[in-house]
Amino acid sequence: MKYFSVVWTVARKDLLVEMRTLERLTAMAAFSVLIGVLFHFAIDTSLIRAQTIAPSLIWMATIFVGMLGLGRIYTIEDENRALSGLLQSPISLDALYFGKVLSNFIILLSIVVLILFVFAVFFNLSFPEDWLGRISLSVVVLLGVLSFVSIMTLLSAVAVNNTMGESIIPVLVFPLLVPILIHTVTATNRIFANRPFVEIEGNLKILAAIVLIFLVAGASLFRFVIEE
Amino acid sequence: MIPRLQAADVSRSFAGTLAVDGISFDLNSGEFLSIFGPNGAGKTTLLKILAGVIRADEGQVSIDQKAVEASDRSWRSQIGIVTHQTMLYDQLTGRENLLFYAKLFDIEDPEDRIRESMITLDVLEQADRLVGSLSRGFQQRLALARALLHNPKVLLLDEPYAGLDLYASRLLRDRMSSLKDGNRTVVLVTHSFEQGLELADRIAIQAKGRFVFTGSNEGFHLTEFEQLYWDTLQECGF
Repeated sequence: MKYFSVVWTVARKDLLVEMRTLERLTAMAAFSVLIGVLFHFAIDTSLIRAQTIAPSLIWMATIFVGMLGLGRIYTIEDENRALSGLLQSPISLDALYFGKVLSNFIILLSIVVLILFVFAVFFNLSFPEDWLGRISLSVVVLLGVLSFVSIMTLLSAVAVNNTMGESIIPVLVFPLLVPILIHTVTATNRIFANRPFVEIEGNLKILAAIVLIFLVAGASLFRFVIEE
Repeated sequence: MIPRLQAADVSRSFAGTLAVDGISFDLNSGEFLSIFGPNGAGKTTLLKILAGVIRADEGQVSIDQKAVEASDRSWRSQIGIVTHQTMLYDQLTGRENLLFYAKLFDIEDPEDRIRESMITLDVLEQADRLVGSLSRGFQQRLALARALLHNPKVLLLDEPYAGLDLYASRLLRDRMSSLKDGNRTVVLVTHSFEQGLELADRIAIQAKGRFVFTGSNEGFHLTEFEQLYWDTLQECGF
């Protein structure tokens, strides 16, 4: 119980700071809308069906917006060297990792909801009408965002003690994003094409496995990258 | 007497350069050690090792003769640290900052403890203002309140007066003198001879990662110590 309380304390602090500054949320939201507007004018929907192109654009927007916002996860900890205060406290470092994952998950999920809304407006995208389709889409979004956030939370910590700073993050993150993108985009495509659930089930299982592997790896490796 | 804080042959290097080179010392409960030394002597690195923020390559740190292990983080609740950087979040109020740390340190009745700590350091009236809007002096006293919140046995101070004006510096020093209660062991790293000598029971001069002088503070005069400091550094090739 105490462990989860620490996880929530860290996440709550991050969210409170973000709500006070709106530093990352504003940049991420503005970028999301910009991508939607840009593709609205770039793609002729009388030639290409929105349902076909939207899933890949949605996930591309999510990844770029995520890179923009989550690359700065530790900026608030760097100010006044608050990170040293966290490291000096008796909390376990995996609890700190999960707290950061939770706050980033909430932030990115809220932005993905905005991205979906933007695409729905600009591309006249119709969402699945049956409950199974809606639930499947929600699960894909949750797993896709969680897997991305779990790896970003770990690798952004590398930038804290690295002379290359944030510029090293894409180099480390992109190769690991390949399996996430393959399965999220494939599953989202099939959901929007109203394909039967059995065709999506496999992608969901693999995504769940990726989330589990990334979270366990993140929690185990976090202390090696965050400590000086 | 069992030493409260013990460092045994502690070393740490960064990219092949020894920042801390085989430092050993024992401090009893209630003792106050001031460490002086030029920039780059490894004083801050030593303090970070004692605080468990970074690991030593060699040697061992013990509290009450219990070796501190990297895997066991519970001993960290016996240590408080204050540096010239406050480790506080500018976007949170003083009270929110302290509440955050109180939860991390699993303090019982955190509200009462925060109030008590804020009264001791005379920062209660500004408790609900964002830390970023407070003066440097107030922020530093809040940082001390944060470090004392969990009532640590060992307090580590790294240039706590840096950037403070004379008035804020005097206020902080007054508060710090109350820390000499005979129970708390304090290690202070400073460039200021006056501030370091005022409260110290023991003195060390660190240069090139090593303690090149250690001794008791038996009423050193400022000029006398200044001479000792320069002579010692010259002997070390500075």
